[in-house]
Amino acid sequence: MLSNLGEDKSIYLQISEMIEDEILRDIIKEEEQVPSTTELSKFYKINPATAGKGINLLVDKGIIYKKRGIGMFVQAGAKEQIMEARKTSFKETYLKKIISEAKLIGITKEDLKKLIDETSEV
Amino acid sequence: MSTLVGKNIVKRYGKDTVLKNVDINIETGKIYGLIGRNGAGKTTLLSILTAQNPASEGTVTLDGEPVWENEKSLSRICYSREISPVTMFGPNTYRVKDYLSTAKAFYVNWDEEYAKELIKLFNINIKKKINRLSKGMLSAVTIIIALASKAEITILDEPVAGLDVVAREQFYKLVIEEYAATGRTFIISTHIIEEAASLFEEVIMIDDGQIVVKENTEGLLARAYRISGEETLVDAAVKDLKVYHPESIGRNKVVTVLADEPIDSFSEDVMVEPVSLQNLFYAMSVDERKEA
Repeated sequence: MLSNLGEDKSIYLQISEMIEDEILRDIIKEEEQVPSTTELSKFYKINPATAGKGINLLVDKGIIYKKRGIGMFVQAGAKEQIMEARKTSFKETYLKKIISEAKLIGITKEDLKKLIDETSEV
Repeated sequence: MSTLVGKNIVKRYGKDTVLKNVDINIETGKIYGLIGRNGAGKTTLLSILTAQNPASEGTVTLDGEPVWENEKSLSRICYSREISPVTMFGPNTYRVKDYLSTAKAFYVNWDEEYAKELIKLFNINIKKKINRLSKGMLSAVTIIIALASKAEITILDEPVAGLDVVAREQFYKLVIEEYAATGRTFIISTHIIEEAASLFEEVIMIDDGQIVVKENTEGLLARAYRISGEETLVDAAVKDLKVYHPESIGRNKVVTVLADEPIDSFSEDVMVEPVSLQNLFYAMSVDERKEA
């Protein structure tokens, strides 16, 4: 769990992404319980309504589900689903940034490909 | 759901009009943040809403009933004010326990057990005289009274002003715990916006005796942006928007904008960043003319 939330995006989005990250990293496994709205709001000192909005976003996406009277649990297949969704947004969130920085400092497409090969060998 | 409603509130002190036709609706079940510069009218508004101070004009009602001299309505509202170490007659030599027993007698839902827990948590010696307490301890006593009042609507005016960082964090956690458990309404005024912003479901911004913002905090910040880049490009990107606090350095310009609706995309020529509540408040409040 992140120790602090940032200011670069809405808090509820940060909450839902953080839980997704934990599922990707197997810190919360499928069919395991996720922290409750109250736990999240106390931990991060955020309004319970905001924490609830982050949780609901994951429910809407089908990543977590509610067990009545017990809490929220990770849906089977959630990890795969998150990976697929993140692959789609990878271009927008990461590649575009890298390419625009590369352009700015004069790294050519070929240089960039070479750099990626070199870096991923490490 | 109950509602505390202030209508056309005007407050004059001599020639000064400190509140100018304020309309406000406080729905129960939320944590509100009240922010504004020193002298903006925050404390005056809170004291009028809780009938500790008469309005020059206008009305305050709780569920349709006037709160002025209405014991039934007032016992549902707790306005825990800062306790002063001096009184009109000299040093305030009442003891903490005197304040606690007065509060206990006044608030119908007073929770004695909870009060004891809080006294322990904040490490307060209740036998001490008020004028022997540090600023932080005075703040702690007002917080203890506010929380243990268990009032439906609880108002805290600058509760963290004298507190150190550990006690402030304790306070934020206590409010969330209590809110999560009971759904009580809290109105909290503060100058330490950065720390408390994420606690507030709604933010009320008051400036020069008027409410300039009353909105869901997330919704407000979702339409606020900080735009920077080359001057002419920034000007072009924000030309139809409400711009606050423009600053220039060299050929660069930085502005804060508050759009009517969230904007999907800005021109790629400018840098777009989100704005924190504190920075939005700063941008909206800073007076260009007074800046050196």
